[in-house]
Amino acid sequence: MEMDIDYISNLPEHITDKILSCLSLRDAVRTSILSRKWRYKWISLPQLVFDNQSLLISSQDQTLIRNKLINIVDHVLLLHSGPIQKFKLSHRDLQGVNDIDRWILFLSRGSLKEFILEIWKGHRYKLPASLYSCQKLIHLEIFNCMIRPPTPFNGFKNLKSLDLQHITMEQDVFDNLISSCTLLERLTLMNFDGFSQLNIHAPYLLFFDIGGVFEDVNFNATNNLAIVSIGLYATAGYDQNPALGSTGNMIKFFAPLPRIQRLEVQSFFLKYLAAGKVPERLPTPCIELNYLSFRINFCDRAESLGALCILRSSPNLQELEILVRPDDQAVDGRDARISEEYFHNCPFNQLQLVKLVGISYAKQELNFVNFLLANSPVLEKMTIKPAAAIGGCELLKELLRFRRASVRAEIIYLDP
Amino acid sequence: MAIVRPEMKSYIWLQTTDGSIQEVEEEVAMFCPMICREVLQTGMGSSKNYAIKLPQRVNPAVLGLILDYCRFHQLPGHSNKELKTYDEKFIRLDTKNLCELTSAADSLQLRPLVDLTSRALARIIEGKTPEEIRETFHLPDDLTEEEKLEPLRNMTDDPRIRLLNRLYARKRKELKEREKVKNVEVAEEHMDKRSVDDLLSFINGGDGDSKCVRSAKNKKKNRRRKDQPRNSASNNDNENREKETESLNSAHYNGAVEDVSSSNRALMLQDSSSATLLSNLDFDDADIDDGLDPALKEEIDREVEDFARRLNSVWPERMQEIYALGQERRLLQIHGNSSVARYTGKRNGSSMNVAHLFYRKLILIVFL
Repeated sequence: MEMDIDYISNLPEHITDKILSCLSLRDAVRTSILSRKWRYKWISLPQLVFDNQSLLISSQDQTLIRNKLINIVDHVLLLHSGPIQKFKLSHRDLQGVNDIDRWILFLSRGSLKEFILEIWKGHRYKLPASLYSCQKLIHLEIFNCMIRPPTPFNGFKNLKSLDLQHITMEQDVFDNLISSCTLLERLTLMNFDGFSQLNIHAPYLLFFDIGGVFEDVNFNATNNLAIVSIGLYATAGYDQNPALGSTGNMIKFFAPLPRIQRLEVQSFFLKYLAAGKVPERLPTPCIELNYLSFRINFCDRAESLGALCILRSSPNLQELEILVRPDDQAVDGRDARISEEYFHNCPFNQLQLVKLVGISYAKQELNFVNFLLANSPVLEKMTIKPAAAIGGCELLKELLRFRRASVRAEIIYLDP
Repeated sequence: MAIVRPEMKSYIWLQTTDGSIQEVEEEVAMFCPMICREVLQTGMGSSKNYAIKLPQRVNPAVLGLILDYCRFHQLPGHSNKELKTYDEKFIRLDTKNLCELTSAADSLQLRPLVDLTSRALARIIEGKTPEEIRETFHLPDDLTEEEKLEPLRNMTDDPRIRLLNRLYARKRKELKEREKVKNVEVAEEHMDKRSVDDLLSFINGGDGDSKCVRSAKNKKKNRRRKDQPRNSASNNDNENREKETESLNSAHYNGAVEDVSSSNRALMLQDSSSATLLSNLDFDDADIDDGLDPALKEEIDREVEDFARRLNSVWPERMQEIYALGQERRLLQIHGNSSVARYTGKRNGSSMNVAHLFYRKLILIVFL
């Protein structure tokens, strides 16, 4: 009878491989008890993903879960045959146990290209030396680990993408790691400790996303860097940086970024940028910058000037997002005021979309809105979301009065 | 080749393996890389006499589906959402069609469609029990009863697992029994070829290993028989006990390992130490089973019986449930298992077979 023909088992091998790779590891391994033809199909899966979706362990007992997890990874690695290209270990119940050392050692003998290790519980797990010998690695993603490569360590020569979060490493280790991974294109760094100077020497870097507590950022040979997102999570100590000298952070930061296209200035980073001398505009404009987002405290005069400096230096900006940070310290109202002349002579000839979130009825903020509306001839849409409902009506009245350079501009007011 | 007027549309001629030929709009046909390459490299397809011969895996019905897909996808201007909705509807096919489609798309090198259908097939497999998958795809259920009834390693003192293992042991015994009846018949056929001495030694329970013309499996049987004359009743009893011993073996072994594990893990990695440990354990196991108080044994039997009654649903499902309820496994158990395999390997004299068994056990242990 035609209905009973086993079609799936007779598909070409590369297709059954594809089907298996779409399955969670658990389902993939379970196919080995289906029939004789499926017995060994899974064992050459090039991608092994151990996470909560692929390993269902229903128990409350932590020791039991841990042991079961370890057992599963051991077995799968033991049974597996053929190259492992991707190995991901990210189970919410797994701590940094010693067994991981053994797995990494095993993997380091193969041709691992993608390694993802996320330790969701417990202390930072110290990565074993064997990891640093995985020279085929293209993507490395580490969460909650300690990074201390054996010396000498010459970097991952093929690494293109590095994602480090909640990690601990020494300053010189960090500097060496970044500069020795010569092909690095993407770098993500979130919540780190052990170093505070971000010395980024990476000629192929395109994407840079960082969030954490640091003192200084020094780009060096980053001529291709196009997408930058920086969040500084602490506020103290940037106003009196003695190293600033005459230039100030603004110029120092933008000078090595000639190709920047998207920039997100998050948390307190604008404060960092505004430290030292803030020029009216940058010596070299950011010609390619088309998207800018910053978080700003309008009551801080330096920050306002910093924001204006970036805006004035971005003639091709198309999209702008402004997130207002509520005033964190009492700044003298007189200090915060920026004289009218700062707002002159700054046309945004490409700006189409503006989003303002968290604004209040403060004079400085309204000045800024007025400034944008008056200088953006091709503006399409300005979305405004105030911080609180109180004063919303007054805000609207003011907004209605502002002259708009663009006849097409619509203002969208969102309820807080 | 440029399309100037709609009525001047170009067509490509395609031929499926059943011999039928059809013309297809050029832009639709050319969406398949394999056809595109044929046209560009060989100039085929321009007329009925020079139709492009499609690969065998593309039957006319599936070709229709594929052309529908190409017709939609080659048109520019669809939004991502439209494409997604189309694809979702498109793959609402039975598994037979889905498999054929995957295979055909693969032979036409239509990569996006292969991805789409492979994902669809994976989604069908996802979360299903082996029985359901077998039924859905008409997979042959060709793993033997014996293989399926391999005892699960008893990793904890969970009484359910123990009961399950005993039940499995019983089922296996039944199977063996059936097999044995067959074997005896086979053996009898061979008997007249052997010398009287051989026969005598065989019947008296002498070591048949050296002379028997049997497979490794049967050798194992003979080994068991050697302590006792071939009296069917006692023989069964013995075998039953031995089976149960086997099923308990691992539990006991693991228990012991747990004790050692804290002291020195590295030591355990060494073959010699674990092998010694194992042989000791083997010994212990026998003691345990033999020492069963008849009353207790009866009680256990009743329990097993009762348990069997409760287990009237599908086997692997129950196994999953039971395993999901949790049991403890230690790192060392892998080593434990491997040495068990090695050990039994010696006994069986067939390392291939053992490797196979070992592999299957691991699968069962890990993912059921």
